[in-house]
Amino acid sequence: MRRIPLAAGAVLTLALAAGCAQTGSTGDDSEYPSKPIELLVGYDAGGPTDVGARLLAEELEKKLDATITVVNRPGASSQIAYTALTSAEPDGYTMGAVTFPSAIITVIDESRGSDYDRDSFDPVALNVVDPTAVAVAADSDIDTPQDLVDAAKSGDLRAATTGVASNEHFALARLEEETGASIAPVHFADGATAAATAFLGGNTEILLANVSDMETLVTEKNAKIVGVMAAERSPFLPDVPTFEESGIDVEIASSRGLAFPAGTPEEITTTVSDAVGEILQDDAFRKRMEDQGLAPVYMDSADYAGYWDQTTRLFTDLLPLVNAER
Amino acid sequence: MDTLSLLAGGFADALTPQNLLFALVGCILGTILGLLPGIGSTAGMAILIPLTLSMDPTGAIIMLAAIFYGGAYGGTITSVLLNIPGEGESAITCLDGYQMTLKGRAGVALTTAGIGSFVGGTVATLGLVFAAQPLASLGLKIGPPEFFSLVLVGLALLVGLVGRSVMLGVISACIGLLIAMVGIDPVVGQPRFTFGSAHFFDGVSYVPVLVGLFGLGELLANAGGAAPQTRAPRLRELIPARTDLRRSAPAVGRGTVIGFFVGLVPGVTSAISSLLAYSTEKKVGRHRDELGTGAIEGVAAPETANNAHSNAAFIPLFTLGIPASPAIAVLLGAFLQNGLTPGPQLFVDAPDLVWAVIASLFVGNALLLLLNVPLVSLWTKILAIPYSVLTALIFAFIVLGSYAVSNSVVDVFVMIAFGVIGFVFRRVGLPLAPLVLTLILGPFIESALRESLQISQGDFSIFVTRPLSLVFLLVAVAVIVASVFSAGLKRKAGLPVDSEA
Repeated sequence: MRRIPLAAGAVLTLALAAGCAQTGSTGDDSEYPSKPIELLVGYDAGGPTDVGARLLAEELEKKLDATITVVNRPGASSQIAYTALTSAEPDGYTMGAVTFPSAIITVIDESRGSDYDRDSFDPVALNVVDPTAVAVAADSDIDTPQDLVDAAKSGDLRAATTGVASNEHFALARLEEETGASIAPVHFADGATAAATAFLGGNTEILLANVSDMETLVTEKNAKIVGVMAAERSPFLPDVPTFEESGIDVEIASSRGLAFPAGTPEEITTTVSDAVGEILQDDAFRKRMEDQGLAPVYMDSADYAGYWDQTTRLFTDLLPLVNAER
Repeated sequence: MDTLSLLAGGFADALTPQNLLFALVGCILGTILGLLPGIGSTAGMAILIPLTLSMDPTGAIIMLAAIFYGGAYGGTITSVLLNIPGEGESAITCLDGYQMTLKGRAGVALTTAGIGSFVGGTVATLGLVFAAQPLASLGLKIGPPEFFSLVLVGLALLVGLVGRSVMLGVISACIGLLIAMVGIDPVVGQPRFTFGSAHFFDGVSYVPVLVGLFGLGELLANAGGAAPQTRAPRLRELIPARTDLRRSAPAVGRGTVIGFFVGLVPGVTSAISSLLAYSTEKKVGRHRDELGTGAIEGVAAPETANNAHSNAAFIPLFTLGIPASPAIAVLLGAFLQNGLTPGPQLFVDAPDLVWAVIASLFVGNALLLLLNVPLVSLWTKILAIPYSVLTALIFAFIVLGSYAVSNSVVDVFVMIAFGVIGFVFRRVGLPLAPLVLTLILGPFIESALRESLQISQGDFSIFVTRPLSLVFLLVAVAVIVASVFSAGLKRKAGLPVDSEA
């Protein structure tokens, strides 16, 4: 594989962006990409991760002038797909859709016996951060994160989560660690729909879910969102305070990105990472993501790797708390 | 009258030549996707979403909704003709549908399924038009404790499914429950019975299990002996006789009611509706003794129920913004992609679109009926293929379908293993129906029980202190007592407990 001058790559992508099709890269082995790229998705076709990955793949195809085939390898919170990804040839032609916390929990939870760890991945780029938010019934007395903590300390509160060792479960553990407020989790292994239904039916006082899953609930005024566990307010919920604003330092989010198997040539990682960065600057594309309730956030490969390490540390620290409740 | 005029406006939109064409293309695509086990309408819709982005939203959503129903119908075709369940929801249809095919009544079975689906779907859509809001809050009343008790009713109906020998029926049911136990424990989060393979963390996917038990099991059972005498029915035999219609009508009615109400509960798959409808038929149907031997009710009830369920599942989407099933979730994605957030607000923001989509649900159901009843003669031509050739085709088809579930060869091995088990079942006379019931209900009953106990902080009285849950529990007890009692009465009177028609 010859090194690709970055400038040439940029010219190529610019030319493509300008609408010039057929840049004549066919049949030349030395240019990346010279054959179709496989994008492994660890969830069923049609799920939010899959739809997001397909949207991104469509744009990447144009930017890279390559065919990208989305291959769904659903099951075991992406563990099957991550196993396939990390054991693939690191030649840039097998890419994986990575979601947090699945890529972290499958590694740190020893009972899952995964064959890979953090170092088996070469992070490419992060494209979505979807923070965890807390909702209560529309007529509840709880209005702010501080109210929530006070209520949890003085009475029994139950929270619907999307399963054991899910993002929400870790969020509860983090909240307890930070404030001492204990909230009993009710785990809905069948996911966000089951959790939201049980919450709306009054079976739990609290719902924990990603902002993207909450959007329809607030538009319908069926629920009230008291806080978002992020550093900054969500663009979808500009009126909802963060936990930080109430002095509660709790930050938990799920996120999506792309990764190659470890050992992939750095130039290739950079090429794809830059392409994702350009795509995320496109207003039309951002609009399409926002329509899905997803806040586009770009991190290049280095930042994403740092975020990956930092999140791994956070979850590893919280794991004993989560396990204690099992 | 306001609703009616809005609906009329919706019809005007849905019936434009362009939108009719989208509905037609969707129905055909859905039927074809539904034919292959493993690839359901959900995956089909998902793959087509990017394509629909450039279309106008009304047309796009109409087409996706049409794929959604078409898929359910495609699964019925393979269940009836080849004993291969395309999806979990049509597994139970194999029992009587395939027996009807062996009797040369494949056409009647498919036509009845088409009519039943139309009735169920149309009634459920009427519910969406006239009573969406109150119905949606009814769906929310079914929390985990209520759902647990409801599934217990389903398991109690099992008593009616066990057939000739209670012992064999219970063995079959227990095997189903055991298979359902595989996977990550929903509360503790530890893998169990997974053989250390991540592939089984989510449990054994039931499409390969069902395809193996029914499809491959049947092939193996036939391989040793004479080929089954199937023949393509003549055109006249496609039309159900008056007795068929008279017998189907009550089954269609019960199927509609069951499918409709179960469909209102978000998160419940239509497989549960069809199982409950079949089990109910086995309990209360007039010709219940014939079920399992090719009775028309055994096709009409589950097929009506799963379509009523699919259409009722739109109610939580439009009223609460909750996608009630995976397929509906994909449809939700399509709404969002087009900048629309489903929920009551949608009736204010984009009334034209909402009413056009609702009208197209009626149109889609009608189109499927128009499309499939005449096409039944085409589908049944498959039976004219010599059995030796058909066997090879079926084998290729089920291997491909099992692989397609999660693009994994493990599912093919699962399918083959369950093919052998299905063969053994047939040899020793174990009934398949109890296994199907517990396999599908098992995971639901487990998570509902444990979610309920987390809600009550470990207090079992939650099942009797919540009124709806208590009602379901009493029904379950009544079903068991009645079964035991009626079996005892029959024995006293010297009547056969199970009889052939």
